[in-house]
Amino acid sequence: MSTAAVECTPEQRLEERTGRLFTQHQQEVWRRVDRLFAGLMGAQWVFAIALALFVSPYSWEGRARELHLHVYMAVGLGGALNAFPICLVWLRPGSALTRHVVAISQMLWSALLIHLTGGRIETHFHIFGSLAFLAFYRDWPVLLSASGVVAVDHVLRGLYLPESIYGVDSIQGWRFLEHVFWVATMDLVLIRSCTGGKWEMRQMAERQAIAELASEREHAKSIELDRALQELCAAQAQAIRVEKLAAVGQLAASVGHELRNPLAAVRNAHTYLAKRLAKPEQAVGDARVPQLLGLMDRELGNCARIISDLLDFARERPLLLQPCPLRPLVEEAIGVVPPRESVSVLNQVPEQLPVPMLDREQFRQVLINLVQNAVEAIPAERAGQVVVRAEEGGEGSLCLRVVDDGEGIPANVLPHIFEPLFTTKARGTGLGLAIVASRVQRHGGSLNVSSQRGQGSEFIIQLPGAAARAA
Amino acid sequence: MEGRRPSARMRLMLAVTGVLWGGAVVGGMTALARYSHTAGPSAEPPARFPEDSALRPTPGRFLLVMLAHPRCPCTRASLAELQEVMERAGPRVDAHVLFLHPERADAAWEEGPLWQRAAAIPGVTVRQDEGGVEAQRFGATTSGHVLLFDAGGHLRFSGGITGSRGHEGNNAGRASVEALVMQEEGRSQHPVYGCALEDPQPLLAGSQRP
Repeated sequence: MSTAAVECTPEQRLEERTGRLFTQHQQEVWRRVDRLFAGLMGAQWVFAIALALFVSPYSWEGRARELHLHVYMAVGLGGALNAFPICLVWLRPGSALTRHVVAISQMLWSALLIHLTGGRIETHFHIFGSLAFLAFYRDWPVLLSASGVVAVDHVLRGLYLPESIYGVDSIQGWRFLEHVFWVATMDLVLIRSCTGGKWEMRQMAERQAIAELASEREHAKSIELDRALQELCAAQAQAIRVEKLAAVGQLAASVGHELRNPLAAVRNAHTYLAKRLAKPEQAVGDARVPQLLGLMDRELGNCARIISDLLDFARERPLLLQPCPLRPLVEEAIGVVPPRESVSVLNQVPEQLPVPMLDREQFRQVLINLVQNAVEAIPAERAGQVVVRAEEGGEGSLCLRVVDDGEGIPANVLPHIFEPLFTTKARGTGLGLAIVASRVQRHGGSLNVSSQRGQGSEFIIQLPGAAARAA
Repeated sequence: MEGRRPSARMRLMLAVTGVLWGGAVVGGMTALARYSHTAGPSAEPPARFPEDSALRPTPGRFLLVMLAHPRCPCTRASLAELQEVMERAGPRVDAHVLFLHPERADAAWEEGPLWQRAAAIPGVTVRQDEGGVEAQRFGATTSGHVLLFDAGGHLRFSGGITGSRGHEGNNAGRASVEALVMQEEGRSQHPVYGCALEDPQPLLAGSQRP
């Protein structure tokens, strides 16, 4: 059977949820009070037996005695009074039948206890106490059932045993109303309390429903947000892939352009050398042969560098994290960078820094690129200095700085320096800093730069605690 | 919502159980009411104060005699009602409570809580009724039987002063005694509710004593 889904309005959902919570709470209250009365009735039974044994254990005829009827009644009638309501509490807790039977039974307990105490006026308060206890149900019809027992008892006694209740032996037709009036007054107060309690329960249920629905809405929003975030991440990854592909495409064009010239030069040199080497006697004395061989070697080196940068940028292998002390790594990177006569490169990284977890090979390349850029930033016509520093930040993070006193980066160039294929160098591919930024990011770090024209530049790598934790 | 609706069979079982329960409870309550309102047997009381009684009336005053069983739990209510009578009409009445001391019973058999309770009522004299002789003279067979004689020795009231067995509270018997003492109209009889003063059958010598 297929059912058409009906879209509920928020008001309908709130109403439905409130109703469900209210009913649930009401059931809990009814069951709890049922159990309370089951215990109370058990206690009353024990009390009644003790009372009968203490107050009227025997009836006498001269010297002969026998167990008093009160003892039999306390045991038998008390047990009978309890049997049905307690069974209902056990079998059908929270049902209307259980509540009303409990109410009737409780009022009959009042009658039995009044009887066992010899009609003491104090025991009559058991009726009012019972009504108050019954009000715990917060279900006013229960009070009417209980009061009905009192009314019927008074009517019957007024008709058949008037002296037992009014102290006179003539039929008291309407006098029961005087007694019932006081019970009814008590009922009115308790009914007001019941309806008030019920209203409060309803209010609580409504408040809880509002809170739950709001929480559900927030949860749904959170799920939506997560989904949107995932989509955004996927879109971002896609965009990066597309950007990379575009970059690779651009690079391919650039590479095509970049490779064409050196390859053309190599081909020309090769053609020349091939002709010369066809007649070796002519080649031996030709001064251009070693020149052309040198040219071929240089141009093929350029081709290799272009292809290597392209591969570095395009390839993203997983990180192989391992403990890497910074100072030796910086020392190694400085050693790889081709030195310049007028530029001193200083390693001022302290020995006692925490050992970060890094992909050694990739981070070494990051340092090489930054140090090489710094060296190249210093004009050829003057001396300069490049300093690599590092210090510990908060929560185990590390801050690495590569500082030069070169020409600095122009303000209009600064925003673009990490873009792939952006370069201001005559023979650069524009991939060096893009690779650096990408690798620092993959280590969970950040890369920033500050530069002033004529003052030099400072590249700052921030490595977080997770990446900078001690090995 | 009231949980699962019971099946037809369950409803029938509940109905039958409810009817049986109601029957048992009503039956028990009825038996209890019948027991409470069943008066003791009545004998013919003397029309005038018996001359052979050990009690001596005070001239010009009412004489009230209550015959009581010292161990009857119902008599506690009779004594409470007697206290009410004495509080209202004490100055006009000499009251005596005669507690039964059956033959062959232990000494001080009758001197229990009821004896002390009666002795504590102002204006009441407590005496032992050896062998139930005085009870026979006054025609009393049930504990709590009260006889009221006027100053002339005429019997004005004979009966109980509780509304039912062992129950305190307003009742026609006590109201009559109070009215008669105050020289007002009152009934002359009222049922007596209490334990029997006489053995159900003469106890054999050597049989177990209570």
